[in-house]
Order: sequence, then structure tokens, then C-alpha cells
Amino acid sequence: MSAYAALSRAVYKAAVRDATTVFFTFAFPLIFLVIFALIFRNQEVADTGRGYVDYIAPGVLSWGLANAALFGVAFTLMQWRNDDLLRIIRLSPTSIWSVIGSRYVVALGIGAAQCVLFVGVAMLPVFGMRPDQTWPLAIPIMLLAVTAFLALGLIVGSAANTPEAVAAIANCVVVPMAFLSGSFYPLELMPTWLQEVSRVLPMRYVNDGITYAFTGFGTMTDYLISCAALVVFTAVFAVVGVRTFRWSNDS
Amino acid sequence: MSSIDSPAIVLDAVSKSYGEVRAADEVSISIGRGEFFGLLGPNGAGKTTLIEMIEGLRLPDTGTIHVLGMAPAPRNLDLLPRIGVQTQRSAFFTRLTAREHLVTVAALYGLPPATAEKALDLVGLTDSGNVRVTKISGGQRQRLAIASTLVHDPEVVFLDEPTAALDPEARRDLGQMLRNLKAIGKTIVYTTHHLDEAQTLCDRVAILSAGRVLALDSPRELIARSGIGTRLVIPAGRLSPEQAGTLDGVNGVAVEDGMLVLQTAHTARVLAALDGEADLDDVETRPATLEDVYLELIGAPQA
Ligand SMILES: Nc1ncnc2c1ncn2[C@@H]1O[C@H](COP(=O)(O)OP(=O)(O)OP(=O)(O)O)[C@@H](O)[C@H]1O
Ligand SMILES: [Mg+2]
Repeated sequence: MSAYAALSRAVYKAAVRDATTVFFTFAFPLIFLVIFALIFRNQEVADTGRGYVDYIAPGVLSWGLANAALFGVAFTLMQWRNDDLLRIIRLSPTSIWSVIGSRYVVALGIGAAQCVLFVGVAMLPVFGMRPDQTWPLAIPIMLLAVTAFLALGLIVGSAANTPEAVAAIANCVVVPMAFLSGSFYPLELMPTWLQEVSRVLPMRYVNDGITYAFTGFGTMTDYLISCAALVVFTAVFAVVGVRTFRWSNDS
Repeated sequence: MSSIDSPAIVLDAVSKSYGEVRAADEVSISIGRGEFFGLLGPNGAGKTTLIEMIEGLRLPDTGTIHVLGMAPAPRNLDLLPRIGVQTQRSAFFTRLTAREHLVTVAALYGLPPATAEKALDLVGLTDSGNVRVTKISGGQRQRLAIASTLVHDPEVVFLDEPTAALDPEARRDLGQMLRNLKAIGKTIVYTTHHLDEAQTLCDRVAILSAGRVLALDSPRELIARSGIGTRLVIPAGRLSPEQAGTLDGVNGVAVEDGMLVLQTAHTARVLAALDGEADLDDVETRPATLEDVYLELIGAPQA
């Protein structure tokens, strides 16, 4: 077995064996989705002929994807460093890229499972989501979203030395970002200056991209801008992530 | 430099400071292949710092280090498969079983799961293979950590306090395991606070304090050279300290906890002189130990 495959399995098993991870990755966003969808059931967004669920589902999905990628990576990194596992890896001939790559492939798998689950539930007759034929465009955005938030998670995982610190920092990053990016509440209903603020937040582009893929809301150009923005965010986060990376808490 | 009888490890004037703290101070040590080498010293003496510099995990400020003829830092992919390291904190993959953990570690070295099984067997954990790493006992943890260190069959093994926090029986088992490792030709560098154990296991020890090597030799040599000699302990009252001081061969007399303690380098002569003065069955003979040498060098701990 290659080191990469073995590490992926180790990460995967650690994730699915942890009830908290499973809950916050799958159940928690789903609860949000169900609550929003029930509150706004049978309501249409003015002039679009579409139900609220068509907007809420992509929003909750964006938030769920970002949350899981960031938390998962930050926790793994902090834990592996604290438990001296990074040292064990450093003392073996395995490269650091196998470590990051294995975490990446697991994050992508989890992201894909989240998409299928959340969209599947939203499409149940009670909620009645109807994805556009452009839905396959959600796949590149999902990949880019997981990548960008994984890179952000590397920074958080290096900054934090305890599980509490990871949770605190990650929540402070993700929760306000989700609100300001229109994941729970349409951006159009916010003051203009807040809409401008959202342009510096990666989640806004995840949200825009996924919403376009599922509902056709916006334009293809906007979609491409979202993709490009996420690439830029990934590059910036990755550079900072590599610079802040530490093999151990001692030097 | 790769000849089989060149030393396994050579440290030349290695120093490292953390701010004002000298964690290593001009340390020069050469460790032979197949040698069982002990690093001893009080908390904060610099054992972990030194061992981690040899492993390449920390960088010395000055001085050079060679392991199997190679520099350990920067990260050296030719050297890494030939050394095995147990860090002071045991490291296990989160939420895996003992077996899964070892399979993962084996894979880090590009080795198949069968090697993990062998390592599990080597430390006698085959039966606990399916237990989560968080659920196994302290002794089993320690053994699993050593199995992780040995999974790729390294030539040089570094163990930082492998016997800390073990009960006496587990410590004895582990000692036997380490002896077996030496028997199959591994070079072992280990740190411990158990001086009795170091005395029986180690070919040579270095006693460190504040980053300096205070003594470096075989335990036997250190004990002989210290001149501490043997202590003969007699229940007080059988003879007076003054009387005892005049006996042939006695170098020193003390009264400790109601016992008369005679110090000598010539046990037989003192016992002969004692015969008649006191019942020899009451006399307890305590040869000097590495611990005595250690305490004399470090200074007995302050109460
Ligand atoms: N990363 C670090 N930063 C600052 N000081 C350090 C660091 N690591 C070690 N030290 C200091 O260097 C000295 C040696 O520490 P080290 O951990 O090597 O001792 P040790 O002999 O292994 O002790 P112990 O028996 O408690 O494990 C100590 O004074 C310690 O406080
Ligand atoms: Mg130490």
C-alpha cells in the first residue's frame, strides 16, 4: 500500500469513527436546510417562479462544504502535530505532499457526499427543489471550494494548538462569513456596503457559483469569475499555509 | 566512512541554547555499532534535546552530528529508513486500532501490512491488535510505540524514556525486549530515569546535567572509578561507630535510620574483622550502584 493510500484510509477512518465530525459534517447542515425549507415552504422568490428552497439549498450546501473542509483539515493538522504524528511522518521517507494529498482526497470525498445528500434531501417532494440542467457546473465549484477551504484550514490548524482553539478560530471565520456571503439570507436583501464586503470572502463565490449551477441565477461570466476568485483565494491561503506550517510545537 | 566498524553515531562539540538555557554544551560522544547507550540526567538536563538533534528533528547551534556516516539534518531520505525513533510522547494515529496504526506506519516506509503483523508479534500485541489505540493500557501503549519504531527494521533505534510510567513487571518485560534487540545487532540509544535498569542494560552511559556530559563510560567502570565502594549495613547497637571506625579496611562510618553504615573498598577484609564483633548474618552487603555514582555527580536531590 502506498503511503498516500494508507494515510487517506487513516484519515477517513478517523473521520467516520467520530460522531462529532459526522454530525457537524452531515446532520447539522441538514437540520438547517430542513428548517429553512420548511419555514419558506411553498413561497416563491419574487419574479423568478422559483421556490425559496432553490436558493436556500445551494446556500446551506456552500456553508456545509466550507465548514467541513476547514474544520476537518484544521483538526487533523493540529491533532497530528500535538500527538507527534507529524514527527513520525517526518522521520519516515514519506513526503509532506502525501500527507496533504491524503487529507485533500478525503475532503473531496466528504464534499461529494455532502452534495449528494443535501441536494437529494432538498429534491424530496416536501421541499421540491428543481435543479437546472446546468447542475453539473456545481462540480468544479465544489472542487474549488473544498480546495480553498482546505488551504484556509491549514492556516487555522497551524495557528491553533488545542481543539478548543481550532473550534473557536474556525467558527469565527466560517459563521460570519456564511451570513455575509448570503448562504442563509439572499445578498440582495442586504445593505449595499455589506454586499461589497462579501466580495473579499471566498464563501460568496462558492455560494454564487453553486446557486448559478442549480438555479441559473446570475450569468455564465459571474460563474467563471467565481471559479477564478476561488483559485486566487486558494493560492493566497496555500502560500500562507505553507509559511505557517510547523512539524512540531518545539523547534 | 560506511565501513561496518565505523561508529554508528558521532557527536562533535554539539551545543544548543534556548535563550539563556544551555540545553547542550559542547557534547562530544561516539557510539559504536551494536552498542546499547544510555543518556541519563535529571529533568531538564538536555536528554531529549540531544536525542532529537541526533534524529535530525532539532538543529544544533554549533558542532556536527553524523549518524551512520550521514548528517541527519536537513531531512535525509537515505538515513531515515535506517533509524527508528520513539518520541517522548507516544504518537498514534487518531481513532485507529493498534493493528491499523502499525499498518499505516509500515506504509509510510513503503512496506506491506505483513510487516506490521510481524512488529505486532515482536512486542507481543497480536491479541490486542483490534483494540483502539486510545483503549489499550499504558504498558501496551509503550509496546505499541516501540513496535512503530521497529516496523521498518532500522539499524539504529532511539527511545526516549520507553519505560516511564510502566509497572515493574511491564518494565522487566520491556527490558528483556530491549536486550533481544541488542542481541540481533541493533544500536540502541535510550534515555531513562531508572538507573538500576540503565546499569543492567547499557554498555555505556552518559550522565548529563545542564547540557554537559559529566561522566561517560560503562556502568561498571563508573562505579569502580567513583571509589564509593561497598556499603555494609549493620543494625546499630551491635558495635559503636568508634569501634567500627578502627576496623581493618573501613573507609567511613555513618549512622542512617538506626543502622550503622560502613563504607569500604575491601569487603572481605571488613567482614573478616567484623566476625566476632557482630553476627555476620545481620550484615547486609550493598555494592555501589550506578545510582550512587549518579547522585554523587548530580548532588542528592534537595528535600
Ligand atoms: N522547545 C524549547 N524551547 C525552549 N526551551 C526548551 C525547549 N526544549 C527544551 N528546552 C529547555 O532545554 C532544557 C533541556 O530540556 P530537555 O527536554 O532536553 O530535557 P530532558 O533531559 O529531556 O528532561 P526530561 O527528563 O524532563 O525529559 C530544559 O531547560 C528545557 O526547558
Ligand atoms: Mg526528555
